[in-house]
Amino acid sequence: MFDGMLLGLETAFTLQNMLFAALGCFIGTIIGMLPGLGPMSVVAIMIPVSLQIGDPSTTLILLAGVYYGAIFGGSTSSILINAPGEAAVVATAFDGYPMARKGQAGKALTIAAISSFSGGTIGVVLLMIFAPALANFAILFWSAEYFALVLVGLSAISAFAGKGKVLKALMMTLLGLMLATVGESSLFHAPRFTLGIMDLQSGINFVTLAMGLFAVPEAFFLAIDKIRGEKSSSKKSQEISNLRINREEAKAILPVIARQSVQGFLIGVLPGTGATIASFLGYAVERNLASPEEREEFGKGSIKGLAAPETANNAASTGSFVPLLTLGIPGSGTTAVLLGAFIALNLQPGPQLMQDRPEVFWSIIMSMYFGNIVLLVLNLPLVPYIARLLAIPRSFLIPFVLFFAMAGAYIGQNNATELLLLLGFGVLAIIFRFADYPLPPLLIGFVLGQMFEDNLGRAMRNANGIQFIWERPMTLMLIISAAIFILVPLIRDWLTIKRK
Amino acid sequence: MLDLNRAVALALLAFSSGYAYLAFTYHLLPFEYFLPVRPNTLPLALAVGGIICSLALLIKQSTPENDIKGDGTVNRADGEYLKNPQNYNWIQGIVLLVLATFYALGLRSLGFLFCTFAFLTLGGILLGERRYTLLISISFTASILVWYLVDHVLTIFLRPWPAWFY
Repeated sequence: MFDGMLLGLETAFTLQNMLFAALGCFIGTIIGMLPGLGPMSVVAIMIPVSLQIGDPSTTLILLAGVYYGAIFGGSTSSILINAPGEAAVVATAFDGYPMARKGQAGKALTIAAISSFSGGTIGVVLLMIFAPALANFAILFWSAEYFALVLVGLSAISAFAGKGKVLKALMMTLLGLMLATVGESSLFHAPRFTLGIMDLQSGINFVTLAMGLFAVPEAFFLAIDKIRGEKSSSKKSQEISNLRINREEAKAILPVIARQSVQGFLIGVLPGTGATIASFLGYAVERNLASPEEREEFGKGSIKGLAAPETANNAASTGSFVPLLTLGIPGSGTTAVLLGAFIALNLQPGPQLMQDRPEVFWSIIMSMYFGNIVLLVLNLPLVPYIARLLAIPRSFLIPFVLFFAMAGAYIGQNNATELLLLLGFGVLAIIFRFADYPLPPLLIGFVLGQMFEDNLGRAMRNANGIQFIWERPMTLMLIISAAIFILVPLIRDWLTIKRK
Repeated sequence: MLDLNRAVALALLAFSSGYAYLAFTYHLLPFEYFLPVRPNTLPLALAVGGIICSLALLIKQSTPENDIKGDGTVNRADGEYLKNPQNYNWIQGIVLLVLATFYALGLRSLGFLFCTFAFLTLGGILLGERRYTLLISISFTASILVWYLVDHVLTIFLRPWPAWFY
């Protein structure tokens, strides 16, 4: 193994490969900021260009850098304009955007950068040491366990169910799950609930729903409320771009980063789960572990609430390389696209890769270290400038927020119906906000809905019923954890209200 | 009295009922009757959950849960806007959404460049921008830049000109 590591170091740290890793991170960060272009699309777009390089190690190093960069870029639009263009960064907006609204955009972006760096780096260390062993752990997970894992991910809704909003949060989750059943599912293949509308055959597009729920209402409220709009633009740019994290804050997020790096990595190792579940799960777990005062802050600008999903989604992205490199199984949509790049380069990822082409295997892993450092070095100095976007006058900022939200839904689909749907969801979201319905549970339900149904369906088919719940110990344990995660905070909040 | 909370709950009840009807009348294929999980199994469960939840919301006594901290930045329940509607510029918000709808409707026929330029310029004017030269030059540059990035750099086709131009 050490020989392989040295070989990887030698390959990854050539000037050419370091430059391509840096270039990949930069391109990924910039393109990833555009809502609608998530890591999968960015990596897919970059494949034809990167194949021109010729050298397999350099090509894959560039693509891995693009992947990392795109995840970080996505969190920037989530934090600054409440426009999560990718499912894995939805949870980042829950606390990142409220922080930006409080005038702490610089601090939020810094925490995101440090958390991403730590999650990614710790993930790489774990990948290096445990990759072969973890590949065997991953194949122990069947659809029953995946279903239970999605349930644990759904428990993140409890963060939005405080102060008598339990029923509303539950209703919004159910609504999200209902919307996820629209169109074809991988389990049944026949379209459902499309009402004969052709554009709904493949289901509701995530970006359309996310932009409609978050970006459109934000633009509307900024437009009607001049004070709120001007507050965001007139905050002293010095205050907005302040990166400083004090000692207490660093102390608070350190254990979160440590826990979520490991947890996110383990979730990422499981094929088919990826960064989305890891981020929701990270958010839910950290909220449950927080003290009552800190818990109150979740959803309103908690630094722990921001660090948890940001660490987890980056660690999970690294983890998703385990099944790809060791078993040849893509662990997520993006690694499926990367598998295509491997095949185009005449490489067969799997158990033989480490033996046949150790320089490729280890150079990808080693370049991830470098990629993470580049991301931090590249992004931290840029944070004050990126954060100052919020100081733009409202007459420019609001139309641009709305434009980027619509462009995100239109690009790639080339379908104007998506825009009308987006505006429709936007109007509904405004009404829901007036009536004080929490919107994040709707998106959590929608994002996890398809995985929920597919895995439940497969588990029930395999077991010919629901006995898999008590027949498989890991499933039972996860379902009990999900029940505890959902019920304990609800009971606790209910008791607090009763006492008051 | 039907307040907004109850009106939304009523709309959700109607939606859940409609969804339940579609799930119940879903046309199953003959072999699907023997499957442990059918295409309408989860939808039926969700519909029942939706109906129960929306009924509970409808019946539940409305309590204002506004958590207003007064600094106008966060934790301001959006329901507050409806309590003092005279303090807010509703016309701007609504016209902005109408403008966005025209943008969506005109994008295919009028092309990306013209529509984006018009949307950004008119949006800026609507929100009180009077530095026309600056506004027009920023809108123009942004339209060209985004189109060039998406169409030429990322090679995702975006029709730049009106349909009749071709």
